[in-house]
Amino acid sequence: MSRKLTSAKVYKGMNLSIFTLVMVFLYIPILILIIFSFNDARIITGWKGFTLKYYAQLWTNDAIKEAFRNTMLIAALSTLISTVLGVLTALGLENKRFKGRKGLLALIYTPLVIPDILMGVSLALLFNFTRVNTGMVTVLIAHITFCLSYTVIVIQSRLADFDYSLVEAAMDLGARPATTFFRIKLPLMLPGIIAAALLAFTLSIDDFIITFFTSGRGFDTLPIYVEGTIRRGTITTINSLSTLMIAFTLFLVVVTKRIRKTLISAL
Amino acid sequence: MESLRSRNLEAANLRRQNLASHILTAPALLWLLLFFLVPYLIVLIYSFLTPDIYDIRFIFSLEAYRQVSAGTYLKPFFLSFRLAVFTTLACLVLGFPVAYLIARARERVQNTLLVMIIIPFWTNLIIRIFSWRIFLASEGVLNDVLLRLHLICSPLEIMRTDFAVILVMVYVYLPYMILPLYSVLQKLDFTLLHAAMDLGANEVKAFFRITLPLAMEGIFAGSLLVFIPALGAYLIPQLVGNQQSLYVGQVITYKIKNIPRNWPMASALSFTLLLLVALLLFLMYLAWRRRVLTKRGEYE
Repeated sequence: MSRKLTSAKVYKGMNLSIFTLVMVFLYIPILILIIFSFNDARIITGWKGFTLKYYAQLWTNDAIKEAFRNTMLIAALSTLISTVLGVLTALGLENKRFKGRKGLLALIYTPLVIPDILMGVSLALLFNFTRVNTGMVTVLIAHITFCLSYTVIVIQSRLADFDYSLVEAAMDLGARPATTFFRIKLPLMLPGIIAAALLAFTLSIDDFIITFFTSGRGFDTLPIYVEGTIRRGTITTINSLSTLMIAFTLFLVVVTKRIRKTLISAL
Repeated sequence: MESLRSRNLEAANLRRQNLASHILTAPALLWLLLFFLVPYLIVLIYSFLTPDIYDIRFIFSLEAYRQVSAGTYLKPFFLSFRLAVFTTLACLVLGFPVAYLIARARERVQNTLLVMIIIPFWTNLIIRIFSWRIFLASEGVLNDVLLRLHLICSPLEIMRTDFAVILVMVYVYLPYMILPLYSVLQKLDFTLLHAAMDLGANEVKAFFRITLPLAMEGIFAGSLLVFIPALGAYLIPQLVGNQQSLYVGQVITYKIKNIPRNWPMASALSFTLLLLVALLLFLMYLAWRRRVLTKRGEYE
């Protein structure tokens, strides 16, 4: 009995210590980054006193402001377009018997199991082959392409456990197809659509490698700008920029929780 | 007569539904054909052409594949494969206990813990890599603390090593392992474990005989989500690795971006990587099917 108890304790203790270790591992680098963004020093070592000057520098740095605008523009447009395409495609895929459904599904799922870099390379060569100048439009095309699979899958998975009796009830009560769609079906699909849009948005602002291959000189998104700055070694503003981006992540986490709550209570 | 009419009506209805499906899916289909499938065809074509310093020449050549088969690029492939294996194993060993603990926690605690996993996961990739550079650099925080505590007498040179690459890869991809593991473990019936232990199995035995087999689906999914991106890693080796050990992703990128360019070589390497991934997925599919078949056999 006592042996069994100790082995249970060891087992649980091992789990707990790995858990603690992983949490420390996940947060230490981020915390240090945040702390050092307030450090009044040109290089990263040693604490030289509290300052906000690197935050002030962000507002006067035109390159950062432009990269930020580009990132948001690409993220907003690619989210909008890939979500709309996702809704249409998911609705089309509801019918399980049309010709070419399996082929389309394969086309949707394959990008998820191929390393990102290959999509970057293949699009770079496509734009070279067709002699298209790389820039905002090519980056946008690339972002829509990698977001599309995710939006279709997320919206489709919500449609899979959809309660059709509600639609039938509306039709029986004399609602026209358009009314049924906009008043019943779309609102019920909404949580899935919002989840898909959120995923597309985060994927878009996070992407480095595909943007790297499809953006020309002069069109930087934030990840591209940050990478270039790290390579050139001028990193003082990157700490503060990163901290703001982490704050943005936290904001997203909180907001999505709110959205989730309102959605659940609204339904 | 009546049934014929209703059958015609049904057929017409079906045709209308199929037409609607075609129209609804056409934009995405065209998009993926044009910007996903066709680009790979161009990669395939380019791999058989002749390089030029800035561009490409449309002259047939097998030089790129000759070099691939001669083993010129064996080292980058080996490094990337090793990275993928190590990263996946480390994520599995670290991720499993975490996913298990979250899955067994009370529901409110579960949500908080999940959010704690998701926050780093949603933080911009480049920032997470950058934070490790600050942490690990020879004048970085880790060395600073260790030197002050007199645990070491000269700074540890962790940055720009293959170890740093694996460390940061594990850091970035750990949530991709934890989340699928959590979603299967959460559905796991823990009374099975109690039953096994009542019948005299200890924790280790119960883990290997019950938890692990039931979590297999999550292990497959998580491993896939970690292994495949790791094979094509570019950014992490580039920012925390060294230029003596180049990974496949770096070699491909250099051949495309740096001058003299060698797009046929980049294409041939990309295609080889694609074939490797396809082979891997096929092997996993076989393993998966065998598992399902033996499981069915057991119950019959």
